[in-house]
Amino acid sequence: ENAQAIALPVTLLFALLVRWCVALHGYSGHGSPPLYGDFEAQGHWMELTVHLSPSKWYFYDLSYWGLDYPPLTAFQSWACGWVAHLIEPSWVALDQSRGIETHMSKLFMRCTVIVLEALVYVPAVVLLFKSRHLQANWIVRQASIFSILLQPCLILIDHGHFQYNSVMLGFLLWTVYFAAREQYLVMAACFCCSLMFKQMALYFAPAVFAFLLAKCFRSPYGVRLFVQLGLVVIGTFGVMVLPWMGSSAQLQQILVRVFPVARGLYEDKVANVWCAVNVAVKLRSMFSAPVLLRLAAVATSIAFAPSCIHLFLAVKRSVAGQALVAADAVKLLCYALVNCSLAFFLFSFQVHEKSILLPLAPALLLIHEEPWAVNWFVQVALFSLYPLLFKDGLQIPYWVMAIGWSMLRSCPACPADKRTPLAVLNAQWMSTLVMVAIHAANMLVPPPPSLPDLYVVLNVLFSCAMFVLFFAYFNYRQLTLALVRVRATRSKKKDN
Amino acid sequence: MVGAKSIAFLCVGLGIKFLLWPAYHSTDFEVHRNWLAITNSLPLSKWYFEDGSEWTLDYPPFFAWLEWVLSLAARWWDPRIVQLDNLGYAARSCVEFQRLTVILSELVLFAALGRFVKASGGTRQSQIAAGLTFLSPGFLFVDHVHFQYNGFLFGILVYSLAFAMEGRDLLAGTMFAVLLCFKHIFVYIAPAYFIYLVLNYCSVFRPRRRQPVSGCALDAGASAWRLAKLGTAVVVVFAVAFGPFAALGQLPQLASRLFPFKRGLCHAYWAPNFWALYAFADRLLILASRFMPALGSARIDLSGLAASTRGLVGDTSFAVLPDIPPIATFIATLVAQIPAYAVLVRSKNKKQRGHQRFIQAVVLCAYASYMFGWHVHEKAILLILVPLGLLTAKPTPGTLRMFAMLSTAGYYSLFPLLFGTQELLIKAAVLLIWVLCALALLKSDRGVSAWRCLLRAERLYVLGHIPLFVATELLPSCAFGRLQFLPLALVSVYTALGVTYSWLGLVYEFAL
Repeated sequence: ENAQAIALPVTLLFALLVRWCVALHGYSGHGSPPLYGDFEAQGHWMELTVHLSPSKWYFYDLSYWGLDYPPLTAFQSWACGWVAHLIEPSWVALDQSRGIETHMSKLFMRCTVIVLEALVYVPAVVLLFKSRHLQANWIVRQASIFSILLQPCLILIDHGHFQYNSVMLGFLLWTVYFAAREQYLVMAACFCCSLMFKQMALYFAPAVFAFLLAKCFRSPYGVRLFVQLGLVVIGTFGVMVLPWMGSSAQLQQILVRVFPVARGLYEDKVANVWCAVNVAVKLRSMFSAPVLLRLAAVATSIAFAPSCIHLFLAVKRSVAGQALVAADAVKLLCYALVNCSLAFFLFSFQVHEKSILLPLAPALLLIHEEPWAVNWFVQVALFSLYPLLFKDGLQIPYWVMAIGWSMLRSCPACPADKRTPLAVLNAQWMSTLVMVAIHAANMLVPPPPSLPDLYVVLNVLFSCAMFVLFFAYFNYRQLTLALVRVRATRSKKKDN
Repeated sequence: MVGAKSIAFLCVGLGIKFLLWPAYHSTDFEVHRNWLAITNSLPLSKWYFEDGSEWTLDYPPFFAWLEWVLSLAARWWDPRIVQLDNLGYAARSCVEFQRLTVILSELVLFAALGRFVKASGGTRQSQIAAGLTFLSPGFLFVDHVHFQYNGFLFGILVYSLAFAMEGRDLLAGTMFAVLLCFKHIFVYIAPAYFIYLVLNYCSVFRPRRRQPVSGCALDAGASAWRLAKLGTAVVVVFAVAFGPFAALGQLPQLASRLFPFKRGLCHAYWAPNFWALYAFADRLLILASRFMPALGSARIDLSGLAASTRGLVGDTSFAVLPDIPPIATFIATLVAQIPAYAVLVRSKNKKQRGHQRFIQAVVLCAYASYMFGWHVHEKAILLILVPLGLLTAKPTPGTLRMFAMLSTAGYYSLFPLLFGTQELLIKAAVLLIWVLCALALLKSDRGVSAWRCLLRAERLYVLGHIPLFVATELLPSCAFGRLQFLPLALVSVYTALGVTYSWLGLVYEFAL
């Protein structure tokens, strides 16, 4: 039991160590003027939020990294910028700190990511797994926490490339946590925070909405719950946009910045159905942008509809007065979150390859129910991120984390699904071979001059195919999930 | 032979080591790059004479040969690494190459620890001890960040000790001779080896022919034969190493390079040994003398006030306490090694635990040289901790307590080596993880975990490193005002207390 006592501290420390060691390596836009990359963007936002009044935040110098995330990111930038100003004002000096890349400024920025992740994401993971799966032994639970915290994709994007996705995903995990505790108002508030941090959380919105709506129908005080939820949502949004409340022009500008509909179907190469199709069928030249927008919207809606409708019906339905037990409802919610966000990733407009982190987060919560599927999903997701990581000079962390993840998931503490069919195991091996082969070809064989992006395209095609398969699989699993129905205490009281 | 678990363990270690590539590296990096250049570009006769750079070759010949082999690969990897005048070259390809050589050479340590586990009977505790040694903060900080090749060298030492555990003393002795020709600092534990081999290997006992009941007598013939075998082996090793240089008449030059005595008693940062406490006492007395002018107003040597730990390497002179000449440290070391000799001599009839006593003697010899040696580097703590780590495969509660104290203090004393802000989190996290694992997973032979074995005062001491860390590393330097040397001195003195206490504890445990 000594090992049990130190398991959690050692896990947390090790996760911290790995993150910091990855942070030693390169980041997005390192040493590449004039625009640099995401690292510089975040630094720039710290500078402008600290020095300017909120009314100017969404207007200031839009050509050089204008703010294009919702207000909570702006507030977070302001807080970090304020701390930076205390430590060393030159890091956030208005206009003069553009492109600043000193050793200490890099360390400061890396620290902000780690601190924010430790405050928002890590506690959610630990609490979620401490309270679930109590019938599994502690080694298995600890291994799950360890695996989730050492998930390569989030570490490499947040602590390597440099972003703050862990805050958005952390709020999403809190949403799931409060769903498990049946505290729906807090759940709604957390999801609003997630949404207000990065608009990409909209990928999850249909599932969350379906879940809460079903709970309203299910609950005996449904109308009251609905009104309360509405008030919470409006209240949270209101608090966030308080500085801009007075002026509708301001609010409109925020919307314009946050939802840039003027951009194209996709930017750069992403493992998305549209990008994959575009290799053969040049959609962008065949149709105009508004048509493509509508096409994407329709396709996405068709894609996420089955899982969200199923979630709604399953949570709402009661058979012989029995409601869904909370744990099962949450499990169903996780599946729906995966399916919904994966639908958006595959079929939506202006998707970035980093958005694969969104389906990954709820998928990792299902690491007990779907061990081999989640494991495989992470591997392919990491592979799909390689072109981006390669540009940032993060090859060594990529390889270390890729091999590390494979070793981690094959160690005895992690539950391998004993009922994994042999066909699946073989398929998994083959996909690994394909990925390694593409990497090897990339390193040894230069691409032909007529196809300079050959390997990126191969990467996209392979990843997209795999993601479509995962999408189908997770949908299948959600729709056939065997649910345990237990008499809810409230309906029992009602009957009596 | 190599199980799946140990492969997984190795991969975790390798992963962290690969991730540490962009971390800080010290001048030792340039030292080794320079040696790659020297051995690659110059003929053998000039290796020990080249002094174009201040980092001259000052390791024995086998290490020079190792650098030569590596330089062949370096030339293929990036020819600019081995250019003699390319001083300070630290491009990415160079860093990658050198870090890779450290990681690969450390596999020797991995293999040696595997052999050690087998020789210990493959028990779970021995695996834990081996794992803790392989991934010890010492190697991570000194080898993979600061940059040295200790993993490789200690791998040879562990091989030698493992051979001794298997009873193959001749091989153990030969490996030790080889090790000496790699890095001569291991000469400090040579007395332990010498006495052990003479008593264990070279003394063959046969039962008395006429009175078999009354014990065994020394078989002079067989013993002499064994002595001859051992002597020949050692001589051959040294001949191979030093022969070419002796033929060129360069031995005096080698001697001056290998044994530079011009440096001071204490390193710029006081290694936490007896002399650190001595220097601290001296400073306290200087402070006290301001309040008690009668103490030594006539004797205070003003040059002593400005000396020691001003960051310069020079002769350390003390103000109040008497100065220490090198010969005094030599005598003190010899005296302090007497418990080690006692351990060996008293065990000559206890054949079963012979190798256990031998490793204890090695530990005590290394400890004595650390406590009282001349110009001891804090990195020398590894010389004590690695053999002591091997002993934790089956420790008594006392050994385990002293190991816990010493490893915490000893590894903490390596913190000043990595002084950058970037490395702050790395060293804290690595040490915390290691200490948590060591305290929880290592168990004494009675099954009590290390943390439970520790006395309350000892636990407080171990926990006291946390406030020490906060005070010395996290407070900004302006908080110390004029006393800029205070953080380093605090670290030195605090860890010296632990190191000294462990030394006394181990002497008590092993020799008495």
